[in-house]
Amino acid sequence: MNRRRFLSSSAAALAASPLMLPSMPSRAAFGDYKALVCIFLFGGNDGWNLLVPRSGAEYDSYASSRRNMAITQDDLLPIDPLTTDGREYGLHPSLTDIRDLFAAGEAALTVNVGPLIEPVTKDQYKQKSVTLPPQLFSHNDQQSQWHTLKGVGSPVTGWAGRLTDVLENQTVAQSIPSGASLSGTTRFLIGAQSQPYVMGAQGPMAFTGFGASGLALERAQAFQSVIEAGSDNLYAQAFADVQQRALANVDLINAALERGPGLNTTFQVDPLSQQLRTVAQLIAVRDELQMERQVFFVGLGGFDTHDAQVELQPALFATLNNAISAFYSATVELGVSDRVTTFTQSDFGRTLTSNGDGTDHAWGGVQLMVGGSVVGRELYGDYPILEIGSDLDVGGGRLIPTTSADQYAATLATWAGATAQDLATITPHLVNFQTQNLGFMV
Amino acid sequence: MKSTSSLLVFVPALFLLVACGGGGGGSGATQPPAPPPVAGPPPPDPVTISTEEAFRFLNQSTFGATLNEAERVKELGFEEWIEDQKLRPASLQLPHLLSLPPPQNAGQFQAERINIALQNVIAGPDQLRQRVAFALSQIMVVSQFSALNNRPYGLADYYDVLVRNAFGNYRTLLEEVTLHPAMGEFLSMLGNRKPDPENNIRPDENYAREALQLFSVGLVELNPDGSLVLDTAGQAVPTFGQDVIEGFAHVYTGWHFAGARDFLRARPTIENQTQPMQLYADFHDEGEKRLLGGEVIAAGQGGEADLAQALDNIFNHPNVAPFITYRLIQRLVTSNPTPGYVGRISSIFDDNGEGVRGDLGAVVTAILLDPEARASEPDETAGKLKEPILRYTQLFRAYDARSQSGRWPFVNAHAAIGQGILQAPSVFNFFSPFFAPPGEIESRGLVAPELQIATEFLNTTITNVFYVQAFARNSENLADLGEDDVYIEISDEMAVADDVGALITLVADKLLAGELSSTLESGIRQVLAQTSEAQRELRVAETIYQITASPEYALQR
Repeated sequence: MNRRRFLSSSAAALAASPLMLPSMPSRAAFGDYKALVCIFLFGGNDGWNLLVPRSGAEYDSYASSRRNMAITQDDLLPIDPLTTDGREYGLHPSLTDIRDLFAAGEAALTVNVGPLIEPVTKDQYKQKSVTLPPQLFSHNDQQSQWHTLKGVGSPVTGWAGRLTDVLENQTVAQSIPSGASLSGTTRFLIGAQSQPYVMGAQGPMAFTGFGASGLALERAQAFQSVIEAGSDNLYAQAFADVQQRALANVDLINAALERGPGLNTTFQVDPLSQQLRTVAQLIAVRDELQMERQVFFVGLGGFDTHDAQVELQPALFATLNNAISAFYSATVELGVSDRVTTFTQSDFGRTLTSNGDGTDHAWGGVQLMVGGSVVGRELYGDYPILEIGSDLDVGGGRLIPTTSADQYAATLATWAGATAQDLATITPHLVNFQTQNLGFMV
Repeated sequence: MKSTSSLLVFVPALFLLVACGGGGGGSGATQPPAPPPVAGPPPPDPVTISTEEAFRFLNQSTFGATLNEAERVKELGFEEWIEDQKLRPASLQLPHLLSLPPPQNAGQFQAERINIALQNVIAGPDQLRQRVAFALSQIMVVSQFSALNNRPYGLADYYDVLVRNAFGNYRTLLEEVTLHPAMGEFLSMLGNRKPDPENNIRPDENYAREALQLFSVGLVELNPDGSLVLDTAGQAVPTFGQDVIEGFAHVYTGWHFAGARDFLRARPTIENQTQPMQLYADFHDEGEKRLLGGEVIAAGQGGEADLAQALDNIFNHPNVAPFITYRLIQRLVTSNPTPGYVGRISSIFDDNGEGVRGDLGAVVTAILLDPEARASEPDETAGKLKEPILRYTQLFRAYDARSQSGRWPFVNAHAAIGQGILQAPSVFNFFSPFFAPPGEIESRGLVAPELQIATEFLNTTITNVFYVQAFARNSENLADLGEDDVYIEISDEMAVADDVGALITLVADKLLAGELSSTLESGIRQVLAQTSEAQRELRVAETIYQITASPEYALQR
């Protein structure tokens, strides 16, 4: 039923939009399964304390910039990338499992990455001689940049939404939408045709009191007839549309989950772990739901550490560490560790300088990628010297990214099945950068 | 772009002459004096207000229309009803908390805060004040989900600040919000100190940024009608840059919990959770500070003078009127006010007719009496989706709901219905004023903020809340209910439940002013056809459930 709805809506969109024609007819079915799992770190994660230079001069720059925000050199967890830039690095002491996954080649990091429309130097920034993403350092605007890669345009669709638009042309009989959010509405997953399904951290919520016979059936039918009748008011109609999507998907997913295998992997009770546990359960029933390509969106809040960063950050990173580690183990248990790629995004990085007991909004940051198809035990992009007033510092230790969010997204989208032609719409500013693929996925 | 403003200001002046019979008409500060009252049309005849019109008005101005209150509106007329509301004493939260023995741990007291908050919004006689305060709480946001989970007194008092200032002046409100320790902790102005260059420590930018971006002027320059000012290249014009953020960040240094011997020893107590933050002068930066519009604070004038000048600088920015107006209209009346509507209310914000800027009482009156709010034939873009709390409280008000203990400890509202009082996930509120769901709303360039949290998941959880309420938590089931379980009073319905038509009419009258769609009515009839006359409670429950679960109930017309 859901598939029918999707076919008819994409057919309608196709008729209305000749732009969609070129990439469509020739696509062959995938015949395999791949999932992207985006962990959004709400509030702007302080990447400069997630991955820290350990070697002498670089650590000294770091420590002298960060002062009371700096992590003690000896507390850092050493990592040993296969490709070296001649410096040594360490992870935040909470990230023990990430260190192990890194060492095992299952995890990697992209450094100093952020929204860019084109490459930017400090002079160009000061002289405003290049186009910059509007409203840098603003939470909602920069979240939106990461979600949509919109640049100076309007945020109509998300990059994962545009990705699922093209992927759904190649999938055969998926029962539910490719996009699923376990962390509320997100433009990240909204495409020109594809619409995500939004569920709770524990999975979909069933309507109470609906059933297959008797009064419970009458009740459900009356409810359905009302939401299908529509409304001449736009808001009531949009509300009814959501109710229809809820009704169309919930029983299907819950029935599959009930028949699905139990997971032996244990997850902690924090919200991120619970969301990822549900994602693992959904991946476990991918065949039942005839899923070939999925993009999941999960989130964790609390990263806007203006205050008490030294106290809060260890717990935030511990949560991230435990949740990612358990989820990776679950994908191993399910035999899909090379079919599932987990990656982080966040509003922005944070200032190198301290505001007394925390850090403020900045720009470039550090992101994590985990999974069997990640070319692990590597750092991608250029790790900057963390010096106040450096060539990348636009003030207070806000660093200009040297790798763009478009490049990061394009690398992930290509793995999921996007063609170079698709990337022109999925990652619209990729053309402005030399490296089209960061190389962290196989 | 700005040249349109004079026209926009002229229109509301005319309108107010009609609406107010010539008295108290507001015109923009730039306008010539209003013509004498005799030049206006004669006072209008008393208007007959229908029940539907009264419901529409009350769903904009209260926590849910009821038949009794609709009668009152019909009797008094809209304007007098508003004036009557404004005279009512404020229902506050803090006195209730202070009347109880202090809790063992502060977190427990959040249930008491929620309890009194819900009592006030559902049963408080000062409904308009409560509704406006709720709107303000979604503009100047603090949330329990932060360090404030341990500050129930502070949160209650913060809400009381909004309640007390709901019809007051925005400048006063802005200052009370800025100096409130709940806001101080939430956006880290509390404990913010002057620079310490040797340690690369600079002032915290959190409150500086969010107060400008979310509480007052916004990120881009606006015309008085809320439309964007565009530069010659057609791009929006930023209202401030990083230098201004840093200027305000320096202004907001030196403030901490009141009553300590010095800044470094300031600690929270029950008392100082509800007292304005105190300036500790030796932690305030005394340098020059850049403000909006190129204004500069001179060095060495002291923290209090700095704050006053900075808040005046914000208050007098031309964006504040359209910025606050647009958000208040969205919370009270419609997701998509026309530029004309925003412009009319902006001009009242700029000058209430007596030369006063920022008079929120005048702004609220004008929002509710505007022809766009009172149009008798609303079009397909009129109104908005009801916020989850309002869907919930309207049912309770219509059905005289209460618990046997008299308490309302709905502590997990944020999880169960996606919205709770002072329970937003962040300073960005439960939803963005600019959210547009994909589809017709977005393609027409419109927005529907509440749709951001009307997800498949949350819509279902709210629908299920209504299911439990209708079927289990009603006055027929008292024996099975816990003493804190809130139940609806369905004795009226029980009395007519043998007559399906009478039952549906009664529930539709209470919840929809009788405006029931034929689909919804036939859906309910279909279900009730499977029940017997003897199954009265079941019939009542099915009817209330189908109506509260329907899109037409979710819509605020």
